[in-house]
Amino acid sequence: MFNSLHAGREDREATMVNLKNVSPPSEGIRYNQGEITAVWNGEGLGPGTLYIAETCVSWFDGSGMGFNLKYPSISLHAISRDFNAYPGEHLYVMVNTKLNGNCEKCAEEEDNESTDDDCDADSISPVTEIRFVPSDKATLEPMFSAISECQALHPDPEDSDSDFEGDEYDVEEAEQGQIDLPTFYNFEESLSQLTLEGQATLERLEGMLADSASQKHHCMAVVRPEDTPTGCCNESGAVGVSGQFEDANVDHCLEGVPTYNEHLLVAFPSHSGPTDPKQSQWVEVG
Amino acid sequence: MEVSHSIRERTIAENSLVILLQGLQGEVTTVDLRDESTARGRVVNVDAFMNVLYRDRRGRLSQLADLFITARNVRYVHIPDHVDIMETIQTQLTRIRRVRNFAGDKGGRKEYQKKKK
Repeated sequence: MFNSLHAGREDREATMVNLKNVSPPSEGIRYNQGEITAVWNGEGLGPGTLYIAETCVSWFDGSGMGFNLKYPSISLHAISRDFNAYPGEHLYVMVNTKLNGNCEKCAEEEDNESTDDDCDADSISPVTEIRFVPSDKATLEPMFSAISECQALHPDPEDSDSDFEGDEYDVEEAEQGQIDLPTFYNFEESLSQLTLEGQATLERLEGMLADSASQKHHCMAVVRPEDTPTGCCNESGAVGVSGQFEDANVDHCLEGVPTYNEHLLVAFPSHSGPTDPKQSQWVEVG
Repeated sequence: MEVSHSIRERTIAENSLVILLQGLQGEVTTVDLRDESTARGRVVNVDAFMNVLYRDRRGRLSQLADLFITARNVRYVHIPDHVDIMETIQTQLTRIRRVRNFAGDKGGRKEYQKKKK
């Protein structure tokens, strides 16, 4: 299907894909597999190693040259067993950005293809198609699941629907009849269950726990309005993980002074979605 | 059809129409993508599609075993005709509340400390 665009290009011209020196992600690796051939927009890149980590999907060949794919740029991924599309079962990934000098080729294809007068951005958006062809076909399903799980860690920050931060109403209070059980409650109502301090604390703790699953020490997290969380703790992957809290940009700092002087015992069994493997933790703040 | 384990996700679902899509698990639906491709298959989960016949925007057909489409690339989800929308939403809401009541019933984990009013 997609390869018919590149029919006739059997002559191996110099690779148009600008690979760069890539090293595997240092942590948060959900899956890695060698002997995986990458095919970039129909162009084979040879065998290499694929790393599926919580921050990105990374592939590089024997000489260390390769590429990283950030999850927000992955439009979709799939297992393809369709031999009409490609002669071999593989993992198909569609990336919605121009990558590594291929944009020229993409733009050309778009111009040749578009016959309609519709000029909205979507129909001329660049798309990169990557296939990961493993030698061991049994690895396709775990690879697919690993990318799916990591994709769930990166919800779309532009999606206003997911901009909920409040917790549910207090179940225990409801049980004891201390508050009325609403049939429906909206965002404001649920948020008002927490004081202002409580809300901020909740955000802070959620962000802290997201990163500190493997940390031995407790970090005090400070909420900042800036975009990029800078960490002076030894936490890699902080950018990827804290991105899931759209409204809490968390800065982790070893010398952070507690902003709030409360004592809370909180358990967060899951804070990043149903696929989060982290166990619940009891955290004492104070 | 399980309800999400996350309070956050249940809250989001309870307050938006994604709860309808979650009620479509097991149904065969068609999804129009942002780039004007369409995908048709059985919904495993709102976040994942399975066994999809994927028709790309160039009109070509491709069979994909498992397909995961990120939310922002979904333009339309075609609700099957036989699905009663209001009933599906109500059923999902009931499921969410059932999970919540279990949590408060001296069972399950207490996720938040009781707040003093």
